[in-house]
Order: sequence, then structure tokens, then C-alpha cells
Amino acid sequence: MLKRKNISSLHVPHNKHTAACVPERLAVPSEVILPMNMHSGHDAEPIVKVGDYVRVGQLIAREEGRFSSPVHATVSGTVADISPIPTAKGGTTLAIRIESDGKMEKDPDLKPPVIHSCEEFLQALRESGLVGLGGAAFPTWAKFNEMCSGQYTVDTVLVNAAECEPYITSDHRMMVDHTELIVKGVEYLRTYMSEYLADAKFLICVEKNKPDAIAKLKEALADKPYADVHELEAIYPQGAKQVTLYNATGRVAIAGKRFPAFHAVIINVSSFAKMAEYIETGMPLVERIVTVDGPAVKNPQNFIAPIGTRISYLLDHVELKSEPGKVVIGGPMNGNAVVSVDSPIVKVSNAVLVFDEKSAVLPEASACIHCGKCVEKCPINITAWAVEPASRIRDEAEREKALIDTGVRQCVDCGCCSYICPAHRPLLAWNQDQKWWLKQYAAAQKEKEEGKK
Amino acid sequence: MKELHISAAPHIHSGVGTGNIMLDVVIAMVPAAIMGVVLFGVQALLVLATCVVSAVAGEAIFNLCVHKKQTVKDCSAVVTGLLLGLNLSTNVPLWQCAVGALFAIVVVKGLFGGLGKNVVNPAIAARVLMLLTFGAVGGGANPVRFVELESSATPLAALNTGVDGLSAAPSLKDLFLGLHGGAIGETCAAALLIGFVYLVVRKVIKWYVPVSFMGTVFVCYLVFTGNPTYALAQVLAGGLVLGAVFMATDYVTTPTTGAGRVLFCVGAGLITFAIRQFGSYPEGVSISILVMNLFTPFLEQWTAKKTLGGIK
Repeated sequence: MLKRKNISSLHVPHNKHTAACVPERLAVPSEVILPMNMHSGHDAEPIVKVGDYVRVGQLIAREEGRFSSPVHATVSGTVADISPIPTAKGGTTLAIRIESDGKMEKDPDLKPPVIHSCEEFLQALRESGLVGLGGAAFPTWAKFNEMCSGQYTVDTVLVNAAECEPYITSDHRMMVDHTELIVKGVEYLRTYMSEYLADAKFLICVEKNKPDAIAKLKEALADKPYADVHELEAIYPQGAKQVTLYNATGRVAIAGKRFPAFHAVIINVSSFAKMAEYIETGMPLVERIVTVDGPAVKNPQNFIAPIGTRISYLLDHVELKSEPGKVVIGGPMNGNAVVSVDSPIVKVSNAVLVFDEKSAVLPEASACIHCGKCVEKCPINITAWAVEPASRIRDEAEREKALIDTGVRQCVDCGCCSYICPAHRPLLAWNQDQKWWLKQYAAAQKEKEEGKK
Repeated sequence: MKELHISAAPHIHSGVGTGNIMLDVVIAMVPAAIMGVVLFGVQALLVLATCVVSAVAGEAIFNLCVHKKQTVKDCSAVVTGLLLGLNLSTNVPLWQCAVGALFAIVVVKGLFGGLGKNVVNPAIAARVLMLLTFGAVGGGANPVRFVELESSATPLAALNTGVDGLSAAPSLKDLFLGLHGGAIGETCAAALLIGFVYLVVRKVIKWYVPVSFMGTVFVCYLVFTGNPTYALAQVLAGGLVLGAVFMATDYVTTPTTGAGRVLFCVGAGLITFAIRQFGSYPEGVSISILVMNLFTPFLEQWTAKKTLGGIK
């Protein structure tokens, strides 16, 4: 066993107010909006027309391009509109708006997939529209497909149930209320991917602040020597995949390599459970648990909502202490602020957080005082304070070198640096910015090289 | 409905800002300042007040003149002013205190780009400037109460004559409590250590930074003379404790890495020892920190942490 060092991490207030809230199924919303970019990769392509009648679970947009994921109707009703909407990242994407007839009629063609081989299993995952529900939204089939390329041997399946972000409890509720799905997920993977995972160890990685989930999982997995619960310290960011990998197996994720190269595959626990559910029922990913919480929410709750439900509809079902100043989808460390509460929740939306006017605006950034707290708290040891000065270097080759020296390429986007910075500098945003620049620059250089040849 | 705020993640913050940290440093200096006033009288209060007021006013006026955002609220000028005051003796005329504080804030900090951009510690640079231009700034003054010292020589002057100087210097207890001549804030090691503990508890500084500075000096003298009492007296006398706790821990002018900070302190300790032992000037703390400040960018790079999974 490798000698394991403690990875730097941060005590952020957990605020898991909804840990005991059994998710409540919402009354059917009057309409849903389904963007075509609910996964990483290429946008899906709509296959329905305005005026079509669709049923729950019916395919309404197919995969397009190499990495993509299909979209299914999440309510029954009529397609009212297909038009572009703004995305959190600044662009636009097509979105299908379905006006619900309130009946939630299921697509009669839906049936559990028939699986005899690994290929059929992957195909089923592909059709399920399942993506990584932890935040990255990487199509689930692609994750397992990569593993099957023959380049890698996987001996560990990490089921990421750290849920290290404050407030969110949707994974937690999934583990407590649907423990059986997780157990089934283990069995399905062992059966259908036996060529690759017959000897693999399944580790459900849970933070210690969820003792009820740990107890239930331990009990359910007691007779399975190949599956176990790995308890993680309740400290941020245990759920970042590089951190989970290191803490669970002692392996270091070498920069620039695909994850299976470390003989492990990592999947979010809700995705894992939804995968089992799909294999059992044939119902694609059409609804999810959403935590509604935040400083401005009086009675935080968990809801089961159709994907595409407008945020405003969710907010109608909780009491707000004050007018929302900022609404964030996802966790407070990593989530995206939305422009309007008319935006829909998407596949990865594990939480909707409402901030009041006071907590919505953080103090303005001031000068770096060189305290080194960003370096100290970074799980990856990135010299975050040096990124912004490096980004100012005019000479592009020099700038690339200086940026690479800071380690910014390995940033896991956890946000510990910005959280701790006493000067309130937007270090994470700069990291992301410069990471993007480095990619662009490297691509441009490569193109130039090839041009010369 | 009114428009929502948009911002990049993360949407929460630890709540500890630059101002809070600076305020903690000020609070940590309060015991030393109080002891200074108790030992040296009202004149000490005047020196401290002059330095703080000049520093804060200097910062405010400088920002106005160069049209920069007003930064007085972050308390960093208070830290610089108070630190400079603690480093001066009550013999220094008040106008000189004001000149020193203005030099620290305007020249050493402001002209280099303000908070976070200065290369050397402003308080130390000002103290060294005053030392060179106005003459002795640290020693000379005797506590006005409790003790009647026969000569006005500082303990260091006595100690630096060699191990025999120990008999002419104050006892370890007097050195620890500050019952001897020197600058306002440097004599009472006990008060400085209270500040040290406070800063460590508040997680403003790392305990190993001052300890490695003082430890280096102690070990050097122990090896050189073989006399632990003498080595301890060297640590307690002069400005070493003040410098180690409040100046070698300055964020801006020291490395950000743990290893870099320790190397900084070991270097400063060695230079302090060399100046005290072989130099012509009795005190070496200020100059050693000043020199090491200049090494900071190098130490920073040399001790840069390897990233997890990074290929170097």
C-alpha cells in the first residue's frame, strides 16, 4: 500500500438541512423545458415537431455526434415550442417545451431492455439517456465504453456518494430510500460486464456525515465480499474524482490520462441507482431528486420533479424568507447561478439554492496579500495565486510555461481557493479561464506544427 | 420580479477577509503595546500613536493623490504603523516617527503598487532607514518604572561582548518580562508570546515560522558558545522575538510555501547570528529579515509544491 498523505481540504459548513426530508413527488407542472445540452458533448437533435403528442419516456431528441445523450419526454402532453434558450455557459441551445396534459401517461412502448452481452448493455445505457448526475454530465454509456476499449484493466469501481457540497442531499436520499437499487446496480454491472468487472471491487464512497446511509448500505452489502462502503472524512472536496480515487485507493490520478488508466472507474451514486432502475423498468432518465435549500429558504425540502421543470415551479412549493437575490443550480461551491427562475432543472440539477440579497453578492476582490491559503487548501497543490499574474504575460510561449508551472491544468474546479481567499479574488474563475486558454493554445500550436509538416 | 445576481462559483466564502486578518495582527500586537506603555510611560504611547496616525493618514492621502481605491479600511496601514512604533524607542523624536511611517507607507508600499506588491517589509525598511539617517532608534531608552538601570546600554550590547557579558546583562527573568532597555515593543518577550499564541490560534500564522527563526539563533549560539543560558539570553534580548513573530510572518514579503517559510527563517536566523556575533552593529534582526525579503521570490520558486499527479 502506498503511504498516503492527507490531501488538503477544507471545512465548509455542511448545511445538510434536508438530510431527513423524504423526497416529495410534486404535482405535475403545467409545462417542462428540455434543453438539448443536458450532457457533456454534442447537443442532442430533436426528432419531434411542434404539435406532436408525446408520452412520458418517449424519445424526443436523438444522439448527435460522438459523445451525446438522447432526451426523453418527462411529462405527457403536446410539444409547444422548439427554440433556442440561453445556457449557463453563455451560448444558446435548442430546447423543447412540452405543455403537460397532467396525465403523466407512460409511453406504451417502454419495456425493460433485453440484455445478453456487454454490447447490448452499453446500447441500453446509451438509450437510457443516463449521464453522470454528480455534475459533469458525462454520458454514462461512454464511461463504460471507454473501459471496454481493451487499453485498460479496471479492478475498482468507485461509486461516488461523497456528496461533499453543502446543502445537497439528493444522493443521500437516493442511498437511504433506494438502497436496493444500488445493490442491484452492483449485480447488474458484475453480470453484464463480467468480462471486465468480474474481479473488480465495488467501493461505495460515502462521507461520514451520512451515518444512516452508511449503515443501510453496509447492511445491504454485507453478504457481498466484492462490494463495500468506503467511509470518507466529511471534508470538502471528497467528491472530486481525483480526490476520491486517492482517498479510496491510494492511487494518484496522473495529469493528462483518462480515468480508467488508474484501473478504476468512477460513477455517481444517483446515476448508478438510476442505471439499475432503467434496467429493471425500462424507464429512461425523466425525473430526479432535487434539494431546494439555501439561505433564503425557510423550509428546505427534497422534491422528485420531472426533468425540465421550471425553477419557479419548485420555488412555489417552499416558503422563501425573502425575495431571491441569486439562484444557483447545484452546490454553492460549484454550481451555476441562473439568469432567471424561468430556467428549467436539467439532468444534473441535484439542488436549487436560493440566496437572499445579502448573501447573493460576495465582497469585491482586493489585492492579493500573498497569504498562501489558496495553495495550502488546494487538494491538488496548485499555486492558485500565481495564475492571474502568469495570465498577464504577453509572450504566449512564456505565458504557457508560467501557467503550466502553477499546475492550473490539473485544477479540479472545487473552488476551495476562492472560498478561502481573504482578498475575495475569483481564483477558481481564473483557473478555469486559463485552463481553457492553455487548451486553445496547445491546439493552435499543434495545428501549426502539423501545418509545417 | 427583479433581476437575479449572476456570479462565478463558489457562491459562499469563509467570511475571513483581509481586514479580519489585519485586525487579528493588530490585536496580537496589543499586549506588547500595553507593556511598552507600562514600561516606558506616556512617551511610548505618543510614539505608537504618531506612527499609526501617520501611516493611516499617509495611506489615505497617497490613495487620493494617485486616484486609487481607498484601502484604509483593510487595516494594513495600522499594522505597519503599529509595528514600526513597537520597533522604535521612546528616545526617537515624534517628527522622526512620522517621517519613518510615511516612508514605510508611501515609498516602500505605495510606490511599489500598494498592499501585496511591496518587496520588503515596510516597517523594517523604515526602521533601517531611520537607523541609518537618524542614528540609534532601538536602544538607548530605559524603562521608566520598576527598574533603575545603571547604564543605558541595551542587553545586546552587553551580551555581544561574549559569554562573560552575561553577568552585565539583565537576568533571563528580566529579559522575559521586559525589564530592560530597548525599543517599545521588543523588550517584553512575554507579551510578544501572548500575541504569538493568539495568531497561531486564529490560524493567521504557522507556529513553525517564528520558532524556526528563534530556534536557528538559539542553536547557532549554543553551538558557538556551548552555554544554553547565554543562547537563551540572545534569543530574548533585542528585537528577535518581535521580528520572528510579527515580521518574519508577514504574508506579503515571505514565501507562501511551508518549506519556503522555514528556509526564510533559517536564513534570517543565520544572518542575525552573523551580524550580532561578527558584525559591527549589535542588532541584526531587521537587516536579516530585510535581506531575506529579497530572497523571497527565489525561495518561493525553489520550494513550489508538486501538484498531485502532476508531471514536473
